[in-house]
Amino acid sequence: MVALRRSYTAVVERNRLWQGDFASEPYEAAWASEAIFFVRTLADATGVGGVARVQISADGIRWVDEGSSFDLPSSKDEVAFCRVSHFGGWLRIAGTLAPNIQMTVLVSLALKE
Amino acid sequence: MNLACAGDPRLSRFDPLERIFFYDDFDEGIRGWSELIGNYEHSLDSMLPEYSDMRPPMLSNLTMWDTGAAGSMEGTYALKLASRARTGSLATSIKRQTFRKRGQIQLECYFTFKPEASELRLSLNDVRAFGLLFDLQDGMNPEFRWMPHLRYLNAQDNEMVNRWQMKGETRAFHNIGDSGETVSHFHLGSENWEFVAAPVQTLAYNEIATKMNWHYLRVNVDLAERRFLGFQCNDLVYAGEPLKHISIPAMPNLNCMLNTAFWVETNRDKRAFLYLDSVLLSGEF
Repeated sequence: MVALRRSYTAVVERNRLWQGDFASEPYEAAWASEAIFFVRTLADATGVGGVARVQISADGIRWVDEGSSFDLPSSKDEVAFCRVSHFGGWLRIAGTLAPNIQMTVLVSLALKE
Repeated sequence: MNLACAGDPRLSRFDPLERIFFYDDFDEGIRGWSELIGNYEHSLDSMLPEYSDMRPPMLSNLTMWDTGAAGSMEGTYALKLASRARTGSLATSIKRQTFRKRGQIQLECYFTFKPEASELRLSLNDVRAFGLLFDLQDGMNPEFRWMPHLRYLNAQDNEMVNRWQMKGETRAFHNIGDSGETVSHFHLGSENWEFVAAPVQTLAYNEIATKMNWHYLRVNVDLAERRFLGFQCNDLVYAGEPLKHISIPAMPNLNCMLNTAFWVETNRDKRAFLYLDSVLLSGEF
């Protein structure tokens, strides 16, 4: 009998205002082999054009770009996502919004063995 | 020893009551522990702000920057609660159940706590507190919702405290939204904590932020008599007068509720972590 793969979704940011430099809280996911970051804007953003970069870390303290990035949503309830795999132990997304951009987001991290 | 535990090395380190209600070894997954969230209507903005950001739990292999992964006490993964790096930030995780009989219950766990190892110094007083609570309501024709809270106050500001506390009062209830159907109260604020009549207990910290020692905790509650009976942490046993608990009138949709929650609070602009290797709830039912 094939074991079902374990999975978990963490809401790593909820109703969080992003402006200027932003980073989601560190999340440990060494048990998972694949992940998707979903970013949903809870209200229309002020300005458009934000980008988030996926970052990985050996210790949860020092972060480095993983190489993936994606355009952030801008209108209410719009969703953007980014798939990641082979990421080691820690995950977050980070970026810098231009001075004219503000957005309130809900960030989910969907993980699977 | 409870017969159910005989011959099982994973269970022989617990002393459960006659029947095990749940046994969560976090090597097997997250096992029903979720982020605590406040009540809301129509918009997340309607939530009491204290409940808005209580952080999702995660499975940690206790990886440190200097020595790599320690793993959990018995295995690879522990449940980890992580606050934000902001003084007073709380991370709170809850498991929601119901009971079938108002008997005695007992929670046991193996835990450890540390600040994030972001500075090369002792960091002994960087975690303010951690604790556990039950959120309970009687079954048929309930009179009360009641909430035993037990907190280990590690440090307050620059002072080490190292004492156990209980709580007898919550904050006022607030109406949430505009329907009249939803209320909320915040019970994890800094007010109304009272010291338990137990001595100072200094839990092994072990010199630097990247070394963890696991600790044992047992908490006993009597659902029938609504009494918060006592607790044991390592070699400290409290079995004196029942501890104070929060008691409020029963609410419409919580009958037979048996919720268990853990939390950790930071004392600095630095993340505080609580790790649980395993949690066992047993009882008479």
